[in-house]
Amino acid sequence: MSSIDIAPEALPRRKGRKISARIWSEAFSSIEFRIGLAVFTVLVAAALLYPWLSEIDPTKMNIRAKLSPPVFMGEGWSWAHPLGTDQLGRDMLARSLVGLRYSLLIGIATTVLMLAVGAMIGLFSGYFGGRIDTVLMRLTDAQLSIPMIILAITILGVSRPTIPSIILVLGLAGWPVYARVMRSTVMSERKKEFVRGAMVLGANDWRIMFTLILPLVLPPIAFVAVLDIARMMIFESVLGFLGLGVQPPTPTFGNIIADGRKYLMNAWWIATMPGVFLVLTLTSINLMGAALERSRNKIYGGA
Amino acid sequence: MFIVRFLARRLLQGAVIVFLVSALIFTLLRVVPGDPVRLMAGGMAPEALIEQIAEDMGLRDPIYQQFGRYVAGVVQGDLGQSFVRPANGAAVGGASFDDSTRGERAEVWDLIAQTAPMTLQLALLAMAFALVIAVPIGVWGGLRPGRLPDRIALYLSSLFVSLPNFWLGIVLALLLSVHLELVPAIGYEGFAYTILPAFVLAIEIAPFIIRTLTVSVAGVMGQSFIDIAAVRGLTRNQIVFRHAIKNSSVPLLNLLGVQFSMLLGGVLVIEFIFDYPGLGLLTINAVMQRDFPLIQGIAIVTAAAFVLINIVVDLCATAIDPRLDY
Amino acid sequence: MALDTATTREALLSVRDLTVAAEGGRVVLDRISFELKPRQILSVIGESGSGKTVLARALASWLSAPLHITGGEVLFEGRDLVSDPAHARSLAGREIAYVGGNPAGALDPTMTVGAQLVEKLRAVRPDIPAAQAREKAVRLLEAVKIPSAERRFHEYPFQYSGGMMQRAMIVDALISDPALLIADNITQPLDVTVAAQILKLMRELNENFSTAVLFICSSLPVACDAADEVMVLHAGRVVERQTPNALVVQPGHGYTRGLIEELPTLWEGGPEGRDTRQDREQAAIMSVRGVAKHYETRGKSGKALVQAVRNVEFDVFPGDNFGIVGESGCGKSSLMRLLTGLERPDAGSIFFENENVGEASPRRLRELRRRFQLVLQDPYGSLPPQSSIGSIVEEPLKIHRLGSRAKRRERARAALSEVGLADSLYDSLPTGLSAGQRQRLNVARAMVLEPRLLIMDETLSALDQTEQGKLLDLFERLQAQHGFTYIFISHDLTMVRRVCSRIAVMYLGETVEVAPNERLFFDPGHPYSRALLSAAPTLEERRYRPEDCLLEGEPPSPIDLPPGCAFAGRCPHAFDRCRRENPALRSRGGQALAACFLNDETPEEDRDE
Repeated sequence: MSSIDIAPEALPRRKGRKISARIWSEAFSSIEFRIGLAVFTVLVAAALLYPWLSEIDPTKMNIRAKLSPPVFMGEGWSWAHPLGTDQLGRDMLARSLVGLRYSLLIGIATTVLMLAVGAMIGLFSGYFGGRIDTVLMRLTDAQLSIPMIILAITILGVSRPTIPSIILVLGLAGWPVYARVMRSTVMSERKKEFVRGAMVLGANDWRIMFTLILPLVLPPIAFVAVLDIARMMIFESVLGFLGLGVQPPTPTFGNIIADGRKYLMNAWWIATMPGVFLVLTLTSINLMGAALERSRNKIYGGA
Repeated sequence: MFIVRFLARRLLQGAVIVFLVSALIFTLLRVVPGDPVRLMAGGMAPEALIEQIAEDMGLRDPIYQQFGRYVAGVVQGDLGQSFVRPANGAAVGGASFDDSTRGERAEVWDLIAQTAPMTLQLALLAMAFALVIAVPIGVWGGLRPGRLPDRIALYLSSLFVSLPNFWLGIVLALLLSVHLELVPAIGYEGFAYTILPAFVLAIEIAPFIIRTLTVSVAGVMGQSFIDIAAVRGLTRNQIVFRHAIKNSSVPLLNLLGVQFSMLLGGVLVIEFIFDYPGLGLLTINAVMQRDFPLIQGIAIVTAAAFVLINIVVDLCATAIDPRLDY
Repeated sequence: MALDTATTREALLSVRDLTVAAEGGRVVLDRISFELKPRQILSVIGESGSGKTVLARALASWLSAPLHITGGEVLFEGRDLVSDPAHARSLAGREIAYVGGNPAGALDPTMTVGAQLVEKLRAVRPDIPAAQAREKAVRLLEAVKIPSAERRFHEYPFQYSGGMMQRAMIVDALISDPALLIADNITQPLDVTVAAQILKLMRELNENFSTAVLFICSSLPVACDAADEVMVLHAGRVVERQTPNALVVQPGHGYTRGLIEELPTLWEGGPEGRDTRQDREQAAIMSVRGVAKHYETRGKSGKALVQAVRNVEFDVFPGDNFGIVGESGCGKSSLMRLLTGLERPDAGSIFFENENVGEASPRRLRELRRRFQLVLQDPYGSLPPQSSIGSIVEEPLKIHRLGSRAKRRERARAALSEVGLADSLYDSLPTGLSAGQRQRLNVARAMVLEPRLLIMDETLSALDQTEQGKLLDLFERLQAQHGFTYIFISHDLTMVRRVCSRIAVMYLGETVEVAPNERLFFDPGHPYSRALLSAAPTLEERRYRPEDCLLEGEPPSPIDLPPGCAFAGRCPHAFDRCRRENPALRSRGGQALAACFLNDETPEEDRDE
């Protein structure tokens, strides 16, 4: 034992519960996480329920009520359209909430996809090392060196964007970072004594990889992936903004804002209001993600 | 001769990466649906003419033959010619289908060389803004983990990272440029037009710097050599400025290397919003016009830039921390 | 190292009723009082939790929350430091220097050692010009016997070995000519032979630099070796203070007496005759022949070969307790990986029950692994953190597809009860277990397959004396019941002395000596074995003195080995041939082998001093 404990009172190395449970409870006890969760829950509930309860069709046009401003913000507002209407008289609140649905759907699905692909590639690369590692990591570098957005707009711009193709493209463009992180944690985990112990017991590689290492290294990475849900939602809206996302008439944050840009001078709310929604949602997700990341770092001692 | 061997090895690896990138993009562009010739010749062009143009340009050959030709060109420094842009500026194509002769088309290399300095100017200014915003917040947060500065760093970075760049660009342009008339926003007629786009880009990059710095500064401050430095008689300022910041700059450098592509992605969107005549705008237009040679050229150039920047980052990191070995 | 006879002189440091408490009011140091005269060396000894490190930190003004000084005074040259923290801070690093027990982490890894020495000197004495500071640093690096100090000045901390770094930290402390040096556990992370060299150095420096030393450590023999007087700390109080000789002969306090009695001995009291119990006619269960393994590392200067294991030979017989000792870097852990088939040797062969482990197919190796098992060193890192205790023990049975579910459960329970773990723990996670319990669990997991050979890789080194004893008893019982053969890999001579019947000594990847227990300790056949014995911490009358057995200098790097015998550079008896040729293991009669030319030239009887 070459290291000594110089802390005056060494904490007992007790860990009562499973690590993921401790990360959850640690995160949950932080104020950021609670704020984030509260805002997020309200927004999701609204996104799921409001369009249905209010029976407002987000694609229904009403030329007479067009360009009505949000409440208290200028002349001619009404409670019927709390966030105002667009140039075709469509209700902005309903449109934003429907946009939020698509945004969340794509954000989550994409993150799951890239986490899965990245984790597998990183696991193999880190565990086996050697030639497999070299090949996989060169591939990762190549992928990493093309800006994700260029790759995405290239594919979507040349083909036709649909929801599955958006998820697929963003997911396949985003895995390299996960592969790298996964690879380095697997490599350090692989050197640990309990892995050596399992090898001496006679366990084969698959058993060690999937029953011993994966359950250990995946949760900490998955917790941080929450942050990427927000990142992917931004990407989705960027694509929509460029006209390469989910196609109109389906409202998404991106295409609403792109539309609104044309009316920026006389109806500023069309471009900005959906953005406020998006920012609120993203901030709530990011707060939760950051709280999870911190509690993970705390519990893993900064690893 | 560590440095020579290092450069040789890394440049070789870099060449492999660039090759893989070009192969990937090349194949992608050819397997996805959508015929560029139709776009070039215009919607009204008869089928036979399209076939003929495609034949002439070698677009009906097997992919590997096309790729071979292309790579042979690239190795000699020839990135090919744009499908749609003439050498003099305005895009061709569209309704008229009188085939402009190929000599008039713009060289991809020239197009990139014209726009890249603009983008570089934008990126450097953005990076400077980002560092000015993020470094004080990040370092301060890292020095007081769990306390108020740390919270501020957390809240600010969570907020910044939640601001979609295109939306922030629109809002700021509306506020600062239209209402307050502080800075110009759309187009480019002088350096002042770089400020607002660069600021928006800086807000996009800053949260990553803040996050990395708070974590790494806090990590370094917890190490025993920092702890013991006070007992050895060093002052607080010496400890923080000479030792802590130096040690925590390596993760920051690595971040810049890895996130380079993120920066470029941001550049793309922001140039589009502000109509800033850089590489990003060129890329978007190239995609919209299915200008395959241009897309390929841009991908190769950015991949090469990525490789070079990472080599520089690693060299800087080894200079700072001699333990590192790449 | 005579005591300062001028007793009339004022004390340099005078601590009166110093009390330190934690936030909640728990008292860590309780009314500590003592005096330290200029140039005196005072050892402070106590077990972990006795408050000795807190004392060191309180004196160096380095207490951090939640600890606070709640009473008493610390007079340094007549001025109280407790009531004047600003003065205390101004002394830190200048008049009161501190060296800690973690040399590897004590300096900024991104700056050269020299630059940091200069930085420190100029931080506490800004009036010294840079060039002069630099000169002084180089001079002191030479004084602590760092070879080619001028060059080393420009090297980075990671280029220093542990012992070298500790020397540099001593320079760092002494460079400002302090009146008091607080040495907190400075030998703890070092190998015994290196620690012995550092102790010797410290005594010399004390004479040359007229610095008083407060030497804090947890090992009674080291404390007695180092100091003029020894102060015993127990549960935050000073229980006694005496000269080393008086303390050992007549301990005044029950705690000290217990401490002395608990110390394992190397020579006195004799071994319990663990020697050669077994039948030598049997075939060896494990036989290692000329095994070598090197690893490639990529440094700045290109690829380099680390020769981790060079030439290892020994036989282990059924029922043996075979010990492998050596200091860090001697190749013990690499050898362990070879013996267990985790890696394959580059040369040589390892036979387990007449089958070559190094060449077995993966499938065959898996089968072999049912019959030899490994118990690892780190009680915390060696258990999968997310599995329950029961499933950890069942795992090997599952891997080898042995028995039904119920049968496996039954066998796991039996193994747990055999190692003395309560049945009620079966479904809980190992997270709440103590280090000792964890090692029992490790043993249970290894023996559930009913192996013939158990390899213990530093299994006991993380445990305290009492717990070690209990586990050794357990091993003995299991051996009697199941007929296990053990290989103990360890750095701890006293442990090996206590349990092993035959012992191999490793130095830089080679077995330099293989001998039965008694023979090794009373008649070692290799100068390195003698150096190890001379440096071992013990209060007994030493059979070998470090001064006679060990030269200054560090072990050579395994990347760049000199020709000839690897120990020649530190061996007082080395002659020309040792620097040209590497001696092979040769019999010295009675199953003892050693790799040293001295054995050829001098008759055996003469060399036992």
